Amino acid sequence: MILSLTKKSIVSKFFEIFKGVFAGRSIEYISVELRELENVFALLVLGSFIGLPSPPTVISLRLLPYMGKELLVMTRVSERLDDMLGEMAGLFDIT
Amino acid sequence: MPLETPSYIVRFFIGKGGVGKTTTAAAYALKMAMKGFKTYIISLDPAHNLGDVLNTELGDEPKKVYENLWAIEVDYENMIREHLKQLSDKIKDIYGYLRIFNLDKYVDVLRHSPGVEEQASLEKIIEIIKNYGEKKKANVIVFDTPPTGLTLRIMALPTISLVWIDKLMELRLAILERRRAITKITGEEFEVEIAGKKLKVPIDVAEDPIYKELINLKSEYSWINNIITDPSKTIVALITNPEMLPILEAYRAYNFLTKIGIYTKYIILNKVLIVRSVPEELKPKINEQNKAIEEARKLFKDKTFAEIPYLPKEPRGIDDLKDVITYIEDIS
Repeated sequence: MILSLTKKSIVSKFFEIFKGVFAGRSIEYISVELRELENVFALLVLGSFIGLPSPPTVISLRLLPYMGKELLVMTRVSERLDDMLGEMAGLFDIT
Repeated sequence: MPLETPSYIVRFFIGKGGVGKTTTAAAYALKMAMKGFKTYIISLDPAHNLGDVLNTELGDEPKKVYENLWAIEVDYENMIREHLKQLSDKIKDIYGYLRIFNLDKYVDVLRHSPGVEEQASLEKIIEIIKNYGEKKKANVIVFDTPPTGLTLRIMALPTISLVWIDKLMELRLAILERRRAITKITGEEFEVEIAGKKLKVPIDVAEDPIYKELINLKSEYSWINNIITDPSKTIVALITNPEMLPILEAYRAYNFLTKIGIYTKYIILNKVLIVRSVPEELKPKINEQNKAIEEARKLFKDKTFAEIPYLPKEPRGIDDLKDVITYIEDIS
């Protein structure tokens, strides 16, 4: 009885850990994808900062007040551009 | 009758510089006013000559020049200044906390930014349609436009903006979907640290201010786009001379306008040489002209044509324009 209970808890613990690892991995992928989407969004709206063609000025200006997070992402990504290839390789376990 | 269904109609007179857009547009406006329609003619050309054609001084405010006919020469400098002022006020609103003052002194530089003239002109068109058309002051709104290139860029602006807005909305939805997925997996609220403060980040369309603003922008641009692409409301008249180069340019303009959904119905051939007994020196010219007219009729097969002869006297003032009306009876 005690043994079977222990076995049960070990199995459920195993699944919990497995689920945790799996969830962590999924979040990692989605987060990178999300960050890149936010970066592209910021680059499209405010691309003139780096010399990209922009949408008509009115669109950029009207969206600007709400772009705090996207601006932050864009700046962070641009700071780490040299390192991005390494990060992608790490994400997909390429060594 | 053009006014049976909509409460007002909009007519754009478009053509190469110097083909006679203003004269034709003014004659058309006078014709409609004489029929009893409240008509507004607006010159959007930075190099105005509507006042010269009507033989009176015009300005930014509508001036009554005949029974049922009002004319405006848009003050281009003022229009751009107003547009930039609105932009700089918005920038001040956004960056007010940074104490950026004296922004006005940089406005002069902004006016040289690409796209400012088109955007300011489009806003003026919107303002005029809203103030005179939607408020039922006018039955007919006639725009005498700048030379073709600039006019086409103005007319394309709503379409281009809508393409941008649609793409940005698509991207925004993808972002919100990823955020929701992460929230679902972690079971926690989606937060981000900005300037040392933890802020909740929107994950739904209904709470995302960017998506909401995109919806607002879409409805504003769709409004003007729906008006200028509605053939029961807006029609373009292309003015050209009976020469190959202006005709080919008109054809390119026609293709461009068709591509962005704007309906061209009328082709007006202005300054057609009509000579009863042709002198020897003029024969080649008349031959060229006939060939050009033939080509125009081939290129614009299903369009309504009007031909205005080369008049012995340049039409100036209402009385002269009344003579021109007889040649544009089919333009409504």
